[in-house]
Amino acid sequence: MNHTLVREISRRAFLGRGAAGLGIVALNTLAGSRLSAMAQAAMPQSKGVVNPFDVPPKARRVIFLYQAGGPSHLETFDYKPKLAEMSGKPMPESLTRGQQIAQLQGQKLTCFGPTHGFKRFGESGQTVCELFPHIGGIIDETCIVRSMWTEQINHDPAHTFMNSGSIITGRPSMGSWVLYGLGAETDDLPGFVVLVSQGNGGQMQPIAARQWSAGMLPSRFQGVRFNSVGDAVLYITNPPGVSRDIQRDSIQAINALNALEDRSLHDPELQTRIAQYEMAFKMQMSVPGLLDMSNEPPHILEMYGAKPGDGSFASNCLLARRLAERGVRFIQLYHRDWDHHSDVRNNLVFKAQEVDKPTAALITDLKQRGMLDDTLVIWGGEFGRTPMSQGRGGRDHHIKGFSFMLAGGGIKKGLAYGATDDLGYAAVENPVSVHDFHATMLHLVGIDAAKLAVKYQGLDVRLTGPQGGTVVRDLIA
Amino acid sequence: MRRVYNVLMIRQLLCAAAGCVVASAGARAQPASVSFNRDIRPIMSDTCFRCHGPDRNARKADMRLDIRDEAIKPTRSGHVPIVPGDPDRSEIITRVFASGARVMPPPSAHKELTAAQKDTIRRWVAEGAIYEGHWAYERVKRPAVPTTADGSRIVNPIDAFIQDRLRRRGLTPASEADKRTLLRRVTLDLTGLLPTSADVRAFVADTAPDAYEKVVDRLLASRAYAEQRTMRWLDAVRYADTAGFHGDNPIPAWPYRDYVLQSFLTNQPFDAFTREQIAGDLLPNPTAEQRVASAYNRLNRTSAEGGIQPKEYLAKYGADRVRTLSAVWLGSTLGCAECHDHKFDPFLTKDFYAMKAFFADVQETGLVPDRGARAWGAKLALPTDAQKRALADLDATLAAAKSRLDDAAVMDPADEEAREIALKTRWQNGELQWTWQHPIAARAQNGATLTIYDQEPVESNFYLDGSLKTDVKPGDGLIVASGANPDRETYVVTIRPGAGTWGELGLEVVQDESLPGARYARGADRFLLSEVEAALVEGSGAPRPLRFTMATVNDTPPSVSSINDPAMPPLAAIDGDAKTAWGIRFGEARNPFLALRFAGRVETSADSTIVVTLRHESDLRRAVIGRFRLALASDPFAWPPVADAGRRARSKDPSGKTTWASGLPEDVMKALRRPADDRDETERNALRDYLIFSNPDLAELYRDVQLAEAERGLLDASIPHVVTTVSVDPAVTHVLPRGNWMDDSAPIVEPAIPRFLGALDTKGERATRLDLANWLASRDNPLTARTFVNRTWREFFGMGLSRALDDLGSQGEWPTHPELLDWLASEFMHPELDAASAHDWDVKHLIKLIVMSHTYRQSSLADANSGEADPENRLLAHQNLFRIDAENVRDVALQVSGLLSDRFGGPSVNPVEPSGYLAALNFPKREYSAGHGDELYRRGLYTMWQRTFLHPSLLNFDAPTREECTVNRTTSNTPLQALDLLNDPIYVEAARTFAQNALASGGRAFNAQLDWIFDRALNRPATAEERTILRGLHERSLKRFSADLSGAREFAAQGGSHLPSAVDVVRLAALSTVTRAVLNLHEVITRN
Repeated sequence: MNHTLVREISRRAFLGRGAAGLGIVALNTLAGSRLSAMAQAAMPQSKGVVNPFDVPPKARRVIFLYQAGGPSHLETFDYKPKLAEMSGKPMPESLTRGQQIAQLQGQKLTCFGPTHGFKRFGESGQTVCELFPHIGGIIDETCIVRSMWTEQINHDPAHTFMNSGSIITGRPSMGSWVLYGLGAETDDLPGFVVLVSQGNGGQMQPIAARQWSAGMLPSRFQGVRFNSVGDAVLYITNPPGVSRDIQRDSIQAINALNALEDRSLHDPELQTRIAQYEMAFKMQMSVPGLLDMSNEPPHILEMYGAKPGDGSFASNCLLARRLAERGVRFIQLYHRDWDHHSDVRNNLVFKAQEVDKPTAALITDLKQRGMLDDTLVIWGGEFGRTPMSQGRGGRDHHIKGFSFMLAGGGIKKGLAYGATDDLGYAAVENPVSVHDFHATMLHLVGIDAAKLAVKYQGLDVRLTGPQGGTVVRDLIA
Repeated sequence: MRRVYNVLMIRQLLCAAAGCVVASAGARAQPASVSFNRDIRPIMSDTCFRCHGPDRNARKADMRLDIRDEAIKPTRSGHVPIVPGDPDRSEIITRVFASGARVMPPPSAHKELTAAQKDTIRRWVAEGAIYEGHWAYERVKRPAVPTTADGSRIVNPIDAFIQDRLRRRGLTPASEADKRTLLRRVTLDLTGLLPTSADVRAFVADTAPDAYEKVVDRLLASRAYAEQRTMRWLDAVRYADTAGFHGDNPIPAWPYRDYVLQSFLTNQPFDAFTREQIAGDLLPNPTAEQRVASAYNRLNRTSAEGGIQPKEYLAKYGADRVRTLSAVWLGSTLGCAECHDHKFDPFLTKDFYAMKAFFADVQETGLVPDRGARAWGAKLALPTDAQKRALADLDATLAAAKSRLDDAAVMDPADEEAREIALKTRWQNGELQWTWQHPIAARAQNGATLTIYDQEPVESNFYLDGSLKTDVKPGDGLIVASGANPDRETYVVTIRPGAGTWGELGLEVVQDESLPGARYARGADRFLLSEVEAALVEGSGAPRPLRFTMATVNDTPPSVSSINDPAMPPLAAIDGDAKTAWGIRFGEARNPFLALRFAGRVETSADSTIVVTLRHESDLRRAVIGRFRLALASDPFAWPPVADAGRRARSKDPSGKTTWASGLPEDVMKALRRPADDRDETERNALRDYLIFSNPDLAELYRDVQLAEAERGLLDASIPHVVTTVSVDPAVTHVLPRGNWMDDSAPIVEPAIPRFLGALDTKGERATRLDLANWLASRDNPLTARTFVNRTWREFFGMGLSRALDDLGSQGEWPTHPELLDWLASEFMHPELDAASAHDWDVKHLIKLIVMSHTYRQSSLADANSGEADPENRLLAHQNLFRIDAENVRDVALQVSGLLSDRFGGPSVNPVEPSGYLAALNFPKREYSAGHGDELYRRGLYTMWQRTFLHPSLLNFDAPTREECTVNRTTSNTPLQALDLLNDPIYVEAARTFAQNALASGGRAFNAQLDWIFDRALNRPATAEERTILRGLHERSLKRFSADLSGAREFAAQGGSHLPSAVDVVRLAALSTVTRAVLNLHEVITRN
């Protein structure tokens, strides 16, 4: 054990009225120290506590296109002709007995066939809903997982579970874990950025800031939301009347005064504080450039369908690429209002208009820039929707089976993985739990989910929960 | 056996890895034997107990190592895990030293033992494998205070314990901090504020031996002390002002916060404080305060999301209560036992559910409504005596008015039939219908732009049948507000109705997705229409005011109320009182329609115009209607039409002709279309109600009832309410296998405390929350006092004596000074020192002991020696420094700038917050509305605690969202904090006001002003180097602002506080850069 590490840990312990005060110990750092020198030599270095990497990383960053509200797998990626045949008939009780249900509690359960057709796309011949021709166009780059399942049936807890692997709040979100584990590759932007877009149809379910919280990890690992109204990053703009020169001058004065203080006060936080003011200024300088899309050529804007500054999913997809280029580790785009309790048929048309083209454009754009290979792109929501109808042509929340689409970052191409039963009710073939998904995602970025833990309230808290998750090796190229 | 408690687990690991001796107490007097609690339990807890501990279901190989009797028995395989005194025959020793597949712990556990750890275990077995009970579960015994030869730095027993350990490590305590540092420290710690310049001068000048004690007593008696204690307690009990799930709407909780404030202010004994919160409602003849205290049980997050399964959420709420109670009082992680027996501590799953069962009598529902009369379940109203009297008067008035109306409304059947026939005729003749108006002019008085869309197409976005539709259609008289968006606004609309006779004016509030305030208003979360006025203009004559006598909304009686909130009644729009308003907050996809009855018929000729004024003068900023239409009806009793957003109120009258809204409630129309005998009860009642409503002879009496109800609603809304605990028949509590709420197969449990901690004697009766509370706050409970003392210690040293504040169990940290912790716990429960002036469970006594100690008062500067020997300063050879908490960062900036309000308690407030921050919320869709006046400058403690979107400035500085109990905040140091302190409007305003005051009171010269500034923010003069730096900043800023006058003006105009007109904005702006730099200093936000 070398002295730098001892110092680093005692420093952490000291800093942490927070970090250590909580009883947080960077277990991974300790675990790392116990690895043999041989293993260390073979493994590349990360900038976070997972150092060296637990497994060779395939992805350097993650872009999660989070479709909030619960997209219907039955009108996106999971074609169920049998459900169409059964449409209007009672749902077999053998499937539904004793299962959780949301708004359909106590109601007659009736099969409701897909409201749109499906087509085969690409060389891989994957079936995708015909509303998504652009995604169909890049389908050979992707892997569709048709056997996701989750444990929470209402939006708020389901988001929390999908993001943090726990329904108890106060656990770090997946972006925070990845940032904590690997650090960032930029110091003038946050390492974990969140973008939220509103849709043009359906129901706008609320999304709590908890979904990108760092939980018990230090707050520098929390997701920073970029806003489409007002300051893109809160408080990033100088106060009215304060020019860049005055701002720079002020920060220099603050840092000079803090440096004087550092001579008499032996507070390790002081050096950090000085560095944070420098970084704050750098962020102030770099964010406007990041957001200024005037240098994007028209064909790129057209490919995404983005009108810069409109806060749409399309603009956010383009912004996600720009963030990825600048070294942001984890980028999460929430796109709202997939909660189609009624009229799933028409609402899907809205959603397809909003997400089909930009999703495909992002993957195409990353590919043409040589970034797709090391960027893991995830597309999916907190749960799926019932094969049973609700109200006027709607579908209720559904947790037993739904779909994710994955691309890039070490994911096998053109693969369809897992399956639900004939009616699209339950994942029956190769089911993938949320914890399995988390384990796989962490594995792709070079982290062993079982090892990345912080000690909190006497537990080794992990993204994959106390039971752990299994890496789905079949998904990995 | 002599115990030396100086090794914390982590350092032990590090030392071991580095090859130094385990338990490396440098100055240990004698070779120590291995101690189970100190040396072995931490290792075993981390590496063995998961599979060989208390959890029966997880146990492997039938081997249990946490209990000696089990560990020395042969297992099924015949191996003996531990043979005391004989490591070579002990299976665990064989296995931990094994390699390959047989090694323990197995590689799959990702837990490896170091060589030194293995040796320690071996030595422990060799020495006889002596087990010890876990320290925290042993009854608190008052340890003897160490005696020491050198008493020069010993103020009280705390110092004796601390210095005894220091001396044995060859360390000495630091000297007392200088007076200025000490005063800043103790003032910040006790009150969250800084000492004033006068405080510092007085303290420095006071050379009396009790100068410091006088300061401490003064601070302990202050309201700010209570505020600071309350802030921490609220984290623990997860107090917040909103529900936390889904729509995250406000909950009535602040009276509970005020209860906590009063408790700390009056130094209520902690045992009583505990009892009142957990079981205040069960105390004999509970007082209002005690019932407010019981709100504690209702502070958990709740959901109003449609489609939740109540049972699932009741399970969540119950589990939250166990987790919170266990962290706050027991310092235990009992929450782990929700799904399985605890892996490390002797808590069983059954214990978890038995604890949950204590709360099974709390009246609650799974879906907790966030609107309407049943919102938030059981509530307690807290009227003042005057309000009580007013309420009683109003109730009497209302009852009398109702009975007068009922008496007068008795109709003989023939009369009723005649009225019904007349009504049907009027209806069929179209006399009840509304005529939509096409305004000829519309303007806003405070800056907004009003556009009339008549034939012009206008885009509308609205929900219809569950999805959002977009329409581009002629507006048909729609008025749309745009452009400037002032906090208050008045619309003046002129209509020319043509020749006619009019009985009512109608206002349709039109929802649109573009409107952030519940889709109605241009801001806030509702619209609030303070007053509607109208005047008739004939030719060039003077406007003749038109009076209104009645206001009806399509959901008010006689049909069922659904979207109306009694706090915002329709009659408030015509009561001449700008403070009251008609408003609607919820009402997704509804276009409310307000019908206002003219006092007497209004006759218009072809050229007459009516000028309608809509005033929005509420304190809620931007609760201003965004889109609306006006209508007129001839009949004074035309009923306001019901319309979905986007779907105009049309209905077919019996003749088949489509008209605008027919002017009757739906059920009345249904009734009129059928023969009397075919009507159902709803229809019959609706018709009877409407006949009463529309009987001109009853109009006055009807209005009296409505007025009394409106007044009652307004009065009731002005009375504080708080969620409270109401005890009902306890629900059945099952153990839920693996926490699965759908599985009822496991046994039912009765309320009980964790078995290993004892049993409550309730004489065979079911144990209650009161029994639980009495046990928590009893001196027999080993955990409550230790937990509270440990948490309190952290507030004064930055770290607990055990760092894991919420886990005193075996996975927590062995305390650095167990005897001190126990001595303090004992002294807290039953003071023996200064016993005359203290009482049992005396929080102020405990805190005073701590802050009076030399240990607390010593300098935070480490000498080189102690830094080496104790890099984390766990032995406290000096004080620690740390950043102050989020609320205090705000408090201090406002305090030194002179903006801070000293109001104590009261409703939570909305300080300034960035717009759009709440955009991801819904139900209702909303925009943040900042408060007014001193509400903008109150202490952080009083900030509206919006759980899902906590105020970003608090969040940036690590305030917890309080979705869950938090007993230990993190303290981070991030660029977002720098951006916040630099650019957040409140800190800019603080800097500006601070500079303004320095210009006014600090003298003319920059040097003098700087002294004035430093004196307030840092309680010390500036050094020469600091002066040079800030003078440079000042001079360059002067130059820059002189060249950029408009910039100077903008900078100087920040915030809502008063800016004198005579001020020189360049000088103010330039000095504001200096105050801003000072407020950003590490020293300002650091407690030293």
